[in-house]
Amino acid sequence: MIKLPKFLTIFAMIVLFPISAETKETYIPILVPITGFLSLEGTAQRNGAIQALDEASSSLKIKYEVSDTSTSPEIAVTALQRALSRGKPVAIAAPIFGTQMLAMLPIAKRAGVPLITVSGTAKLTELDNPFIFRFFPGDAVVKVAHARYVTEVLRAKRPALLYQTTAYGQSGYSHLSKALRKAGVPLVFEEALAPSVKDMLPALTKLRASKPDVILLHLHSTPTALAIRQARNSGIELPIVAGSAMHQPSTAKLLKDHQLRGVCAETAASPISETHPKLIQFTTEYKKRFQTLPDAFALAQYDGMNMVITALRSGAKTAMDIRNWLATNTFNGLAMKYKSDGKGNMGHDATIVCYDGTTKTPKITKKYLNVDGTFN
Amino acid sequence: MSSLYSRDFIVTLIIILIPLCLALNTDSYGQRIMTLSGIYAIAAMGYHLIFGRLGALSLAQGCFFGLGAYSAGLIGVHFGLSFLTCLLFAVIFTALVSLIIALPVLRLESHYFALATLGIAQVALLIAINWTEVTGGANGTYGIPQLDLFGVELSSSNDVLILVWVILIIIVSLTFWIMRAPFNYQVTLLKDTPEVAASSGIDIGRWRLTFFIMSAIFGATAGALQAYTIGVVSPATLEFQVMVSILAMTVIGGKNHPAGAVIGAILLTHLPEWFRFLETHYLIAYGAALLCTIIVAPSGIFGLFEKFIIRNPGYDVKSLPSKENKAVSDANSTSLEIQGLSKTYGGIKALKNLNMTLTSYQIVGLVGPNGSGKSTLINIISGLQRQDEGTIELDGSFIENTASYKRSNRGIARTYQTSLRSSDLNVYQAILACSSNQHNLKHRHNQTHAILRNSRLISKTEIMVGDLSTADARELDLCMALATEPKILLLDEPAAGLSSSEQRFLSTKIRHLAQSGISILIVDHSMDFLLPVVDRLICLDQGSVVAEGVPAKVLADPKALKLYFGNARS
Repeated sequence: MIKLPKFLTIFAMIVLFPISAETKETYIPILVPITGFLSLEGTAQRNGAIQALDEASSSLKIKYEVSDTSTSPEIAVTALQRALSRGKPVAIAAPIFGTQMLAMLPIAKRAGVPLITVSGTAKLTELDNPFIFRFFPGDAVVKVAHARYVTEVLRAKRPALLYQTTAYGQSGYSHLSKALRKAGVPLVFEEALAPSVKDMLPALTKLRASKPDVILLHLHSTPTALAIRQARNSGIELPIVAGSAMHQPSTAKLLKDHQLRGVCAETAASPISETHPKLIQFTTEYKKRFQTLPDAFALAQYDGMNMVITALRSGAKTAMDIRNWLATNTFNGLAMKYKSDGKGNMGHDATIVCYDGTTKTPKITKKYLNVDGTFN
Repeated sequence: MSSLYSRDFIVTLIIILIPLCLALNTDSYGQRIMTLSGIYAIAAMGYHLIFGRLGALSLAQGCFFGLGAYSAGLIGVHFGLSFLTCLLFAVIFTALVSLIIALPVLRLESHYFALATLGIAQVALLIAINWTEVTGGANGTYGIPQLDLFGVELSSSNDVLILVWVILIIIVSLTFWIMRAPFNYQVTLLKDTPEVAASSGIDIGRWRLTFFIMSAIFGATAGALQAYTIGVVSPATLEFQVMVSILAMTVIGGKNHPAGAVIGAILLTHLPEWFRFLETHYLIAYGAALLCTIIVAPSGIFGLFEKFIIRNPGYDVKSLPSKENKAVSDANSTSLEIQGLSKTYGGIKALKNLNMTLTSYQIVGLVGPNGSGKSTLINIISGLQRQDEGTIELDGSFIENTASYKRSNRGIARTYQTSLRSSDLNVYQAILACSSNQHNLKHRHNQTHAILRNSRLISKTEIMVGDLSTADARELDLCMALATEPKILLLDEPAAGLSSSEQRFLSTKIRHLAQSGISILIVDHSMDFLLPVVDRLICLDQGSVVAEGVPAKVLADPKALKLYFGNARS
C-alpha cells in the first residue's frame, strides 16, 4: 500500500492533459468523418476544405486542424467541444453525416459559430437554426432533379428503389418517393438496406420480381458499387439512376467500365466532367495534392470555405460576422451560384451525370438550375 | 467491517476521486471527456457484474445502454419532464425489458447466451431505425433538453461532470453492496464451478437474473446520461460498436474489480483524444495501445495494480473469529428413500429401477465397475441430473423434481471427483461461500471457523484454492460440503490421489461425521479405504444393484466378486 499514492498520482497525471490556449490566427476547424462508412465522403470534404484554406493562406492567417467525427454523434459533439475549447473558431467545416449535424447544431448555436457542411439531410435546415449553411443542394433539390430525370427524360413508369437505412437514406427516400408520387409515377418496389449489407442479391431478386423499368439507388458509396456490380452480374441490365455517391470517382473505381453502362447519378456537380478552365485547374491542383480525383462533396466544401474566406476578406472578423455575411450574400462558386434560402440552404442546382460504359469519367447529361426557386 | 467500507472500496473511491478532482480544473473539453468517461464507467460497471463477476458473455449491454438513451430522451423531448423523472423511467423501462428478455435467455449457456443477447441488440437497433414515427428513424431524436436537477438547469460542463460522477459513485457503492461478503464468494464459486455452486445451495438462476437486471439498470442509467449530455439519441447508441467499447473497457480496466471498469472507461475514452493529432492513423495507434495493454496486463490494468501495488490481493479476507461454535451439524434422524430410479443416455441404461435407502449415522459405500451408474446416481440425488423415472424421498418429502440448490438447502451435500480449482478464492472464502444462507453473516463466519478448526486447512485459510495440494483440495471439497450443514453427504471418490496416511485421516473424519448424525454415501475405487469405513456396501452393475449388505456379505457374493474384483480374487 506504500506505493499506492505514487501510482495514483502518476495515473492522474496521465489522465490530466493540458489544452492549448487560443491563437491569434483565424481559426477554422475541420470536423469530418475520415473513418467509418462515410470516410470517402468525409475525406473529400476534408480535402476540399484544406485546399480552399491553403489557397487563402497567402493573404490570410488561417489556422485549421482536422478532427475525425467517425460515424457517431457522440464523437462529433466531442470533436466540436474540442474545437471550441481550442480557440474561437469563426466557422467550422462540419460533417456530411446528418445525425452528427443534428447533435452539433444546438452547440454551434450556443457558441454562435456557423457550420459549413455538405450534408444532404433535409431536417438540418428545417430547425430554424441560423448557424447552418449547407453548400450541397439538399434532398429537396437533388431528389426532385433525380425524379424529374427518371420521369421526364427516361420516361420511366415503374421505378424501383433501394435506399440506405441511415439518415441520409431515409431523407432521400422521403423526398424521392414524394417527388415521384407527385409526378404520377409511384415506386413499384422499395427496400432499405443497412450500410453493412454486402450481399444485395436477395433485395435485387425481389426488385426484379416487381418488374421495374428503372432502378433507383440512394445508397452510400460502397453499397452503390456493390448494388450495381451484383445487378449487372445477375443479368439485370435495366437503367440505373443512383444517388450522388455514384458520381464519385472513388465509387466508379470499384466497378468495371462495362458495368457502368446505363448508369446515371444525381449530384451537385462533377468536377472531373467539367470543361471550365477554373474547374480544370481545381481538379488538377486537387489531384496533385491528394493523389485522387475530386468529387462534388470536395468541390462543395471547397466552395463553402471559399465563401467564408470571401466573407473574411470583406471585413468579417467574428463568427457572427461570418454568419451574417453568409446569410445575406450571393457567392459564385466553382460548382454553382450559392445563396441562402433563409434557412441555410445555399445550393439550388442539380446535375445528372451518366457513364457510357467505356470510361469511368461520367458525362454531364442534364443540369437542373434553381430547382427550388430561390433565385426567383 | 462490511465490504462497502473495505480497502477495495476505498481504493476504488480514490481511483474515482483523483481524476474527478483533476478534471474539475480543466477546460470544458477536458470536462466533457471526463463526463463521457463517467458515463461509460457506469455502463461498464454493469458489465463488470454480468461478465466480470458472473462470467456470462452478455452482448446486450450496448442494447440496454441504447434503450436507456432512447427511453429517457423520448420522454424528455415529448413530455418535458425533469431529468431525474426521465432517468427513473428509463431505468424502470429497461429493467422490465431485461426481465422479459431474461426469462428465455438466461436459460441458455455460453455462446448460445451470447448469440441470443446479440440478437436482441440487433432487434432493438432495427426497431430504432425503422420505427421512425416514434424514434425518429436513422436521424434519431434531437432537441433533448439540457440536464437539470430539481428544476435547476445544469448549463456548465462542471455541473454535468459532477452530476455524472456522483451517480457513478452511487453505482459503485451499490456494486460493492451487492458484492458484499459472502455473496461475492458465492458469485465467484458460481462463475468458476456452477455445479459446485448449485450443490452448495447457491441459487444460480437468482444470481444470473439479479446481475442481468442490474447490468441493464446500470446500462440504462449510462444511456440516459449520454442522451442528455449529447442532446441527441440516435441508432448509433444501439450499434454493436457501443457494446464492443463497453466490453473493451471492462476487460482492459480489469473485469474482476469495479475499479477496473472505471479505469477502463477513463482510458478508452481518452485514448482516441490523445491520438487525435495522428488524423486518419489515430485508430491504428489506438488499436496498438489496446493490444499492448492486453499483452502487458492480461488481467487488466487493475489486475496489474493489484499485483504490484496492493501486496495482499483478495477481497475482504477476515481474521478468524475465536469464538467457540456449535457443532457442524445438528442433524436429527433422517432418511433418503430412492424408489425405482431409472436413467437412460440414448440407448444406454445408466440406472435401472434402482432402490436404495440412506439413514442417519450410517456410512454406505457404493462400488461397481466404470459405467455401472455410480456417478449418475450421485448426480441425480444431488439434482445435477434428472431421472427418467423413479422417486427420491427426503424425510417424507419427494424431491426428485427439486432444483439442485434447493436440495442443498434441505440437507443434501456432495463432493466431486475433480476438486475445486477456482483461482479467485482462498480457502476461507470458498468455505464461507458455501455456508448456509439461512444464517446471518456473523454466524456464517463462526461456522466457517468451526469447520476449519476440525480440518487440516486451519493453517492455510488464505491460500488460493488453485494452489492447494491434491490432499488439501480434497479436504477443502469436504469442508465446503460441510458448510452447507448437510444431513446427507455424497462423496464422489474422496480418496482419489490421497496417500495411505491421508486416507486414514479422511476415514477418521468421515466416521466422526457419521457419528454426528450425517448419512454418508461414498463412491470410491479404493477398497483399502472403503471397506474399513463403511457400514454397508452396495455393488452396482449396469445400473442395477447386484449385491448389498455389510461389506463381508458383499465380498462373499460371487456376482460382486466377478464383476468388480475379477476372477482372480475369487
